[in-house]
Amino acid sequence: MGVIEIRDLVKRFGSTVALDGLDLEVEEGEIHGFLGPNGAGKSTTLRVLLGLLRADSGTARLLGGDPWSEAATLHRRLAYVPGDVSLWPGLTGGEVIDLLGRLRGGLDERRRADLVERFDLDPRRKGSTYSKGNRQKVALVAALASDVELLLLDEPTSGLDPLMEAEFREVVAADRDRGRTVLLSSHILSEVEHLCDRVSIIRSGVVVESGTLAQLRHLTRTQLDAVLAVPVPADLADAPGVHDTVVDGTRLTCQVDDAALGALLSRLAALGVRSLTSTPPTLEELFLRHYDQRGTAEPRP
Amino acid sequence: MTGLGTLVRLALRRNRWFLLAWVLGLAVIAPATATAYETVVGGLAGAGALDVMAANPTMRAMLGPPTDLGTPGGFTVWRVGTFIAAAAGVMAVLGVVRVTRADEEEGRTELIRSGVVGRHAPLTAGVLVALLGCLVLGALVSAGMAAVGEPVTGSLAFGLGVALVSAVFVGVGAVAAQVTSAGRAARGLGLAVLLAAYLLRGIADAGPEGSVRRDLAWASPLQWMALVRPYADERWAVLLLPAGLTALLVGGAFVLESRRDHGSGLWSVRPGRDRAAEGLLSPSGLAWRLQRGTVIGWLVGLSVFALGMGSLSGSFGQMLEDLPQLEAVFRRLGQGAEQLVDAFFVAMLGIVAVLVGIVGVQLWQRLATEEHRGHAELLLAAAVPRTRLALSHLVLAALASTAVLAVFAALLATPEALDRGDAGVILQTVGAALALAPGGLLVLGLAVLLHGLLPRLAWLVWVVVGWSLFMVWVGSVLGLPEWLARLTPWHALPALPVEEMGWAPVLVTTGLALALMAAGVWGYRRRDLRLP
Repeated sequence: MGVIEIRDLVKRFGSTVALDGLDLEVEEGEIHGFLGPNGAGKSTTLRVLLGLLRADSGTARLLGGDPWSEAATLHRRLAYVPGDVSLWPGLTGGEVIDLLGRLRGGLDERRRADLVERFDLDPRRKGSTYSKGNRQKVALVAALASDVELLLLDEPTSGLDPLMEAEFREVVAADRDRGRTVLLSSHILSEVEHLCDRVSIIRSGVVVESGTLAQLRHLTRTQLDAVLAVPVPADLADAPGVHDTVVDGTRLTCQVDDAALGALLSRLAALGVRSLTSTPPTLEELFLRHYDQRGTAEPRP
Repeated sequence: MTGLGTLVRLALRRNRWFLLAWVLGLAVIAPATATAYETVVGGLAGAGALDVMAANPTMRAMLGPPTDLGTPGGFTVWRVGTFIAAAAGVMAVLGVVRVTRADEEEGRTELIRSGVVGRHAPLTAGVLVALLGCLVLGALVSAGMAAVGEPVTGSLAFGLGVALVSAVFVGVGAVAAQVTSAGRAARGLGLAVLLAAYLLRGIADAGPEGSVRRDLAWASPLQWMALVRPYADERWAVLLLPAGLTALLVGGAFVLESRRDHGSGLWSVRPGRDRAAEGLLSPSGLAWRLQRGTVIGWLVGLSVFALGMGSLSGSFGQMLEDLPQLEAVFRRLGQGAEQLVDAFFVAMLGIVAVLVGIVGVQLWQRLATEEHRGHAELLLAAAVPRTRLALSHLVLAALASTAVLAVFAALLATPEALDRGDAGVILQTVGAALALAPGGLLVLGLAVLLHGLLPRLAWLVWVVVGWSLFMVWVGSVLGLPEWLARLTPWHALPALPVEEMGWAPVLVTTGLALALMAAGVWGYRRRDLRLP
C-alpha cells in the first residue's frame, strides 16, 4: 500500500478551483518529485494531506490514515517544511528546532547537532534576523532531525545557496536509503532529476503525468541530429512520427516519437549516416511541453 | 519624497476604516456630553456642587482640571475632554505604527522602497495620514460643539486642542517605529508613553491647590488641551506646545530613520539561547512565551492605576460626606451604595472589568495572528491537535485576564485596608471583581465563536467592547435610556458589595461564555486553516 494515496481530490476556494480531481500515489521508500509551476496546486495538496485544509470531495489517505480526522496522530510520523517558513520573531532558531521537534515527539540529538553544522546555521539568532534561506534551514533541521517515516517538503531549497542545496540533496538521498519516504514539491528541475525516483507533474490542479523519469521519457520524443551521405530526401519530413524537421542540405534535425524511432533509423542507415547524435528529452522539455501554451499538450477544457 | 502622493493614497486606503471608526466614535462624545449638561447639573442641584466635586483630588486625577463648569462647553471639556484626547492619542500611535513599522516588519515596505520612492516617503505618508485623522477629529469636535450651540471660539480651542495633542502621539508613534524593530514593540512603547503622560497629569492634578506638584501637569502633553482653557478665557499660546513637540518628534523620527538600516530598529536584536528551555516546549509554553509581554504590560499599567486610584479613595469618601447633595449622584453612579468608598470601588471595577475584557480578547486574537503569519501551520503540521492549539491561547486569555482583574481589585483596596486596618476590604473587593469576571469571559466567548465560525467578522467583538467601554465611561452622564445602557455583557452581573450577590446572572453569563467558547472551538476544528 502506498504511503500517500489520493483519488479524485477536489478543493475550491470560493469560485477558484485549486484542485480539480487530483490523483497521486507515493510508494514507501521513494523520493517522489511533485512538479509544477506556481499556483498549480502543489501547496494546496500538501496542506490537504496535513489536515490544514479540508477537501471538498475525493479521498486522501496518508500513512494508512485519514489526514483530516487523524491529523495529530499521523503527524507524529511525518515532518513538513513549508515553502515560505515564517518563524516567531522573538524565538531563536535553536528554540524553534527544539519546539517543533518536541511537538513531533522528539529529536535525534546527534542528528540535530550534525545538521546544524552541515547547514552552517547559527541557532542563537532571533527569528526576525534570519534571511529566507536561514529560516528554511531552521525548518529543514527540525524536520530532518525528527525520527519520522515521511517527509513532506514544499520547495525546500528555494532560498538555499548552491552549496546548501548540495548538502540538502545528500542528506535527503541518504534518508531515502535508510527507508524514509519523501514527497518533494519543487519547480527546480535539476533537483528533481537528481533526487527523485518517480515524478508527478501537476497542472491547474490535476496530475497530468506520473511515473519514473524513464517512463516519462518514453512517452515523448527524442531529438535527432544527423548528417547524411546524401542530401536529405524531401519525403523524410512526412514520415510518420517525425516532427519539427529542419533540413539543411545533408543535415537533418528533427524530433521523433519513440515509437517511430526504429523505422526512421533504418531509413537513415540505408541512406548512409556520417554522424548522428540523439538527445533524450530532459525533464525541462517534458515540463515545458505540458506548460507551454503553444506546446502539444492537450488544452484543458 | 518621490512617490509620496501614491503612498499617501495607499496609506489612506489601508487606514480608512480604522480612522473612520475611531474619528466618528470619538467625535460624537463631546456634543453628546454637552447636551446632557442640563440633566447632570439638575441632578446635582446646581453647578456649585459640581465645582466642589470637580475639585476633589480623585476626580481631578481621573478627569483633569475643571475650568468653567458653569457652561455646557466647560463641563464637557472637564468631563470627557482628557478622555477624548487620550483615546485620540491611542488612535494616533496605532495609526502610525500600522502603516510604518508593522508594514516594514511584514516586508511590504521593502517592496515599496525598491520602487521609485524616496527614503522617507513611506514614513511621511504614514505620518500625514495619521495627522489627517487627528485634524478631522478636531474639526468634527469643533463643529459638533458649535452645532449644539456652544461658543465658536471655545469650540475651536477645544477641537484644536484635541487635534494637536493627538498629533503629539503621531510623533511618538513615528519615533517608536524607528526605535523598535517590531510592530508590537512599537505599539507597546508608544502606548507606554501615553500611559505615562496620563499618569503624570493624574498625579499632578491630584496635588493640593497652588502646589508645585500641580504645575507638573504642564509636563504632560495630555494636559495641554485642558491648559488651553477652552470656553474659559482661551490661552491660545498653549497650543504652540503640542504643535512644537509634534514637529520635533516627527523631525526626530526622520533623523532616526536616516541612521538605521531598513528592517532593523535602533535597538538591536541580541542573540538568544541556542537550545529551548523545557518550559517552552508545549503549545501552552509557547503561548505564554509569545504573550507574556502583553500580560505583564497590562498588569503593570493597571497596577499603577489601581494604586493611584486606591490611594485617593480616602479623600474621596471624606469629600462626599461634606457634601450631602452629591451623595445622591454618587449613589446613582455607584448604584445606591451605603458606603461611598464602596460606591467608588464599584465604579472603578465597572470600568476596569471592561478594560480587562480587552485583555482577554487581545490575548485570544493572537491565535488569528499566528494563523495568518503561518506560525500555526508549523505547529499544526507538527503533532498538535487543533483543539490543543486553540485551548493554549484560550486558557491563557481567560486566566490572565481574570488574574489581572483580581490583582487590580486587590491593589485598589489595599490603601483603604491599611487605612481601616482591616484586610477584609481586599478580599471583599477581589470578590466583587471576580463577580464581574464572567462579563469578560462572555466577550472572550464571542471572540472565540467568531474566530471559529466567522473569522472574517472577528472585528465585531471590538464593537461590543467599544460600546461597553463607552457606556461605563461616559454613558452614565448621557442620560441614555436604561435598556440601552443595560446592553453590555457586564450589566446583568451583581455590583458587589452595593448589590446583593446574585448567583443566577453570574452562572448564566459564565455558562453562556463557556457555550460560545465550545461552539467556537468546535468550528475551529472543522474549518480550513487561514493561511498566509
